[in-house]
Amino acid sequence: MSSGFATIPKTAPFAEEEIDLLNRVVGPANALQRAWLAGFLAGVESVTGVAQPVAPARPAEPITIVYASESGNCEKLAGDLAKAARKNGLKPTLIDMADLDLAALGSAKRLVMIAATWGEGEPPARATRAYNELMGEGAPRLDGVEYGVLALGDTAYAEFCAIGKKIDERLAALGAKRVVDRVDCDLDFAQPAATWIGGALKVLTPPDADRGRVIEVDFGKPAASPNTDIVEAEISEHVNLNSSRSNKETIHLALTFDGAMPAYEPGDSLDLYAENDPVYVDELLKFAGLTGDDKLRAELIKSRDVTTLSLKTVEAYAAQTGHQYVKALIADGEVKEWIAGRQLIDLIATFPIALTADHLRALTRPLAPRAYSIASSRREVGDEAHLLISAVRYDSHGRARKGVASNYVAERLKRGGRVRVKLKPNKHFGLPAADKDIIMIGPGTGVAPFRAFVQERRATAAKGRSWLFFGDRAFTHDFLYQLDWQEALKDGALTRMDVAFSRDTPEKVYVQHKLWDKRRELIEWLDGGAHFYVCGDAKNMAKDVRATLVRAYADVKALSPEAAEQTVAELERDKRCLQDTY
Amino acid sequence: MTDDVSRNERIKEASDYLRGTLAEGLREEITGAIVEDDQQLVKFHGMYLQDDRDLRPERTRKKMEKAFAFMIRVRIPGGVLNAAQWLALDQVARDFGNGTMRLTTRQTVQLHGVIKSNLKATLRQIDAALLNSIAACGDINRNVMCNAVPEQSKAHAAAFDLARAASDHLLPSTPAYREIWLDGEKIAGGEDEVVEPIYGKTYLPRKFKIVVAVPPSNDVDVFAHDLGFIAILDDKGDVAGWNVTVGGGMGMTHGEEDTYPRTADVMGFCATKDALAIAEAVVAVQRDWGDRLNRKHARLKYTIEDRGLDVFRAEVVRRANVELEPARPFTFTSTGDRYGWSGGAGGRSHLTLFVQNGRLLDHANAKQLSALRRIAQNHDGDFRITPNQNLIVANIPADKQTEIHWIAKDAGLLAAWSGLRRNSMACVALPTCGLALAESERYLPDLMTALDERLAAHGLSNDDIVIRMTGCPNGCARPYLAEIGLVGKGPGRYNLYLGAAFDGSRMNKLYAEDLEHDGIVTALDPIFAAYASERQKGERFGDFTIRAGFVAATGNGRDFHANTRALGGVAR
Repeated sequence: MSSGFATIPKTAPFAEEEIDLLNRVVGPANALQRAWLAGFLAGVESVTGVAQPVAPARPAEPITIVYASESGNCEKLAGDLAKAARKNGLKPTLIDMADLDLAALGSAKRLVMIAATWGEGEPPARATRAYNELMGEGAPRLDGVEYGVLALGDTAYAEFCAIGKKIDERLAALGAKRVVDRVDCDLDFAQPAATWIGGALKVLTPPDADRGRVIEVDFGKPAASPNTDIVEAEISEHVNLNSSRSNKETIHLALTFDGAMPAYEPGDSLDLYAENDPVYVDELLKFAGLTGDDKLRAELIKSRDVTTLSLKTVEAYAAQTGHQYVKALIADGEVKEWIAGRQLIDLIATFPIALTADHLRALTRPLAPRAYSIASSRREVGDEAHLLISAVRYDSHGRARKGVASNYVAERLKRGGRVRVKLKPNKHFGLPAADKDIIMIGPGTGVAPFRAFVQERRATAAKGRSWLFFGDRAFTHDFLYQLDWQEALKDGALTRMDVAFSRDTPEKVYVQHKLWDKRRELIEWLDGGAHFYVCGDAKNMAKDVRATLVRAYADVKALSPEAAEQTVAELERDKRCLQDTY
Repeated sequence: MTDDVSRNERIKEASDYLRGTLAEGLREEITGAIVEDDQQLVKFHGMYLQDDRDLRPERTRKKMEKAFAFMIRVRIPGGVLNAAQWLALDQVARDFGNGTMRLTTRQTVQLHGVIKSNLKATLRQIDAALLNSIAACGDINRNVMCNAVPEQSKAHAAAFDLARAASDHLLPSTPAYREIWLDGEKIAGGEDEVVEPIYGKTYLPRKFKIVVAVPPSNDVDVFAHDLGFIAILDDKGDVAGWNVTVGGGMGMTHGEEDTYPRTADVMGFCATKDALAIAEAVVAVQRDWGDRLNRKHARLKYTIEDRGLDVFRAEVVRRANVELEPARPFTFTSTGDRYGWSGGAGGRSHLTLFVQNGRLLDHANAKQLSALRRIAQNHDGDFRITPNQNLIVANIPADKQTEIHWIAKDAGLLAAWSGLRRNSMACVALPTCGLALAESERYLPDLMTALDERLAAHGLSNDDIVIRMTGCPNGCARPYLAEIGLVGKGPGRYNLYLGAAFDGSRMNKLYAEDLEHDGIVTALDPIFAAYASERQKGERFGDFTIRAGFVAATGNGRDFHANTRALGGVAR
């Protein structure tokens, strides 16, 4: 691309050595780099306020990037893609699927969709509406649209990347042209996703995108993006908040940072880097015939996901070992059913065969951190962050199971110990303006971000009212942070609180029942502009709460079910009805 | 002290006939407690706010308030329940309580561990079984007790009728209970309307307890209560009338000699038709004469000590406008229950079960609560809670007797206990009672195991000896009328009292203070040994300890605190 013509003349208003310097840069620059410089220089002038005629720029080629994100990974990748696209001379439009107007897709020339699959093959909660519209009969034709889909998922779940797959098929069915093949990423998505983005841009960037162009350079102050590096924190408080009579164990963890505290906001999470249970790893090594390999043991404990069992794992095991029964299991089509409720250890224990360290390593993926909502506000607790972590324990297939991260916290972290964490911002679950009312539905550990909300509102003397719905099993033994709430009600940081304890009465009472009981006031608050938050269990609670909200609208405002549904959908679109569920 | 006391009077006065702010307090969902003034008022509705004291040390660290829950004491005059009522209480105990039923020393059932949000549902179910907890606690006439021995059927029926009538007659009239707990309509009273014709706005100065006894059994401990009626039988076994007793009471405070337990005086004899008038007059005089400044001096026993029995009697007679005849002779033989089968009328029989400390639950190896449920599901007779915290399954027809016998036996309700254990009682104490200074119900069985071993060594395993323990000096298990009385002083420490009469007519005397487990056993062992070798024929343990010179006999009133301590040895 470089050519001799671009030498800066000696007449340029620079010192000689500066002209040499510039020539060293501009001379070999390619068209894209020159376009960028042109944009930069034009921008410098406009930023400094001096009007300057700029050569009329050819409009940049557009690219539409839609992301359906739950935990923020897809959103981050979409941002990466937009940045790279801009470098390539494209003009990216970044759209959260939550805000997607389907009609806009038809006019997109180039479309990239990055979609996460959540739970048992469901779209991220925020994206549900647009996803359903896309899958529905009213979706527009997309003839002439070139597209590619990047799918994120978790092989631990049966319906791996189901949403990405369905979107990919649907776009094609609507007439769009797949120009980039879909890639399905597991939890260790960083590498494959980056590769896919690079490849996709190569295909989607027209050959002359950078010719004779001025690239718009963003001079906006770089957003003070908080530190999202991994930092080490000291555990200054480690308390099981459930009474000794409870069969639950919910740890309140206070983390102290030596000056390196991430600048978290209410609603944000911390990624916590857990380690595996050594007892489990030892047992696994025993079944694999690898007891005594201390290096492997240390590696597995620290950095490998040794519990997840996926179809991929079983297939890899069959290929590695040639185990006839495992092959038969796959061939019979019963493997998905067999996997349900089982872990890697079950595979190796049930179909034992001598493994090498590399075999075993290859059956695992990197151990991903576990995100927990932060239960405190920096403005109240200073150099601390609090987490609320429920120890997950259950039995399945005759074996006691333990959640990796939660039991690492509950059983092996101690006061005075240290733990590695990383800030995981969640800008989709923040507080509204200080004068807005908030309604918070947070049963169990779902109450964590709301403790942050209430602390923040106290610390900032926010004027808006706040109303918390909390629930758990037993009033006496499972009322998490009871004294905190009592104090907040007294000092006004919390305006009111309703509670539902499911095991105190013969008939189980849940938060949605309380919501229904209070529906008139609830709708009154919402009519007054209140924001509605739900945090906690995604499988049942969040759905039940949403359904109750729809019913409440229908009942209080005498709406048809469809109209009530529409009202709630609008609240969601307006970002006044927000979820953080897991 | 005075402030504290007059505070209770002010709370009553301002309560609008026991309403206070209870209704509002129930709507406060995030605390299991109610405000302090209401904690006093809720007693009049049969409830105490308590907390699980076992959990206190961990609660603040866990960012939780105390583990509050309510004790509900049901009002069961004479301790008689039909099978449906038994089943209803069993159901609420499991649905809303801590899964146990506690039979009390005053013939009622206590449910423990009912959290505030479940109070109304619990009381509604109790109400549906035609029961309630009105005035089961508080400064008012509480549950009226009655002799529980059903084989004396004619006398028992008369006693039971009187107990029921007295209970009904002295119920508070305020509609507060129905309003607050059963969502009844609020009844607006006119300005001049007399809401409480007997009690007035401030009710009584202190709690008030009535019992009805049928000799020769003194199972109700007639001398331990404010007002008692002792049936006087004619030649045909019919009730000719009643001796009236006044001024008994158990409570006292450690270290305050102005407070003391007291046995009641026999005030005279009245006919059945006059009994209610006498009862009302006694209540009214105590209402007007009782001490409302000092709650520790407010029971009827102090009124009578201060004014004298004669003055008091004259005032009662004047107000009741009936004559009291001189008391007639009567004889009590014991305060305990007779276990096992006894005959009744019409081919029906009664089965008296031993319930250790009155606590019914499903132990791992003895599912007593379930066993009684099975009995109740197939029983058309009734259940009678005895004043000794035991239970009589009464009026069992012949064809059900075998089955019920075996259900009870399998559940350990008919075991052959030692003479000490079958005459034992303990109050609830820890972890629920807020007053407890030491363990009682949870500890007495272990202590008795140690004492039984000593008694066996002296050949006394089958001798009836009355032992009672309480966790504080207030005396719920009537420890001052036990041959061996143990009263909690502090964690693991007890005062030991000896020398009460087996028939409940004389209190015991402080023998040693601040004994721990080994100290109790060591103190009693030589006395057991002496009793085994030196007792006279038929001589009771309590009487022996006095005759043999271990303790002085206790007279009434302030004499309780005189001549205390071990007198040092056996008078040979």
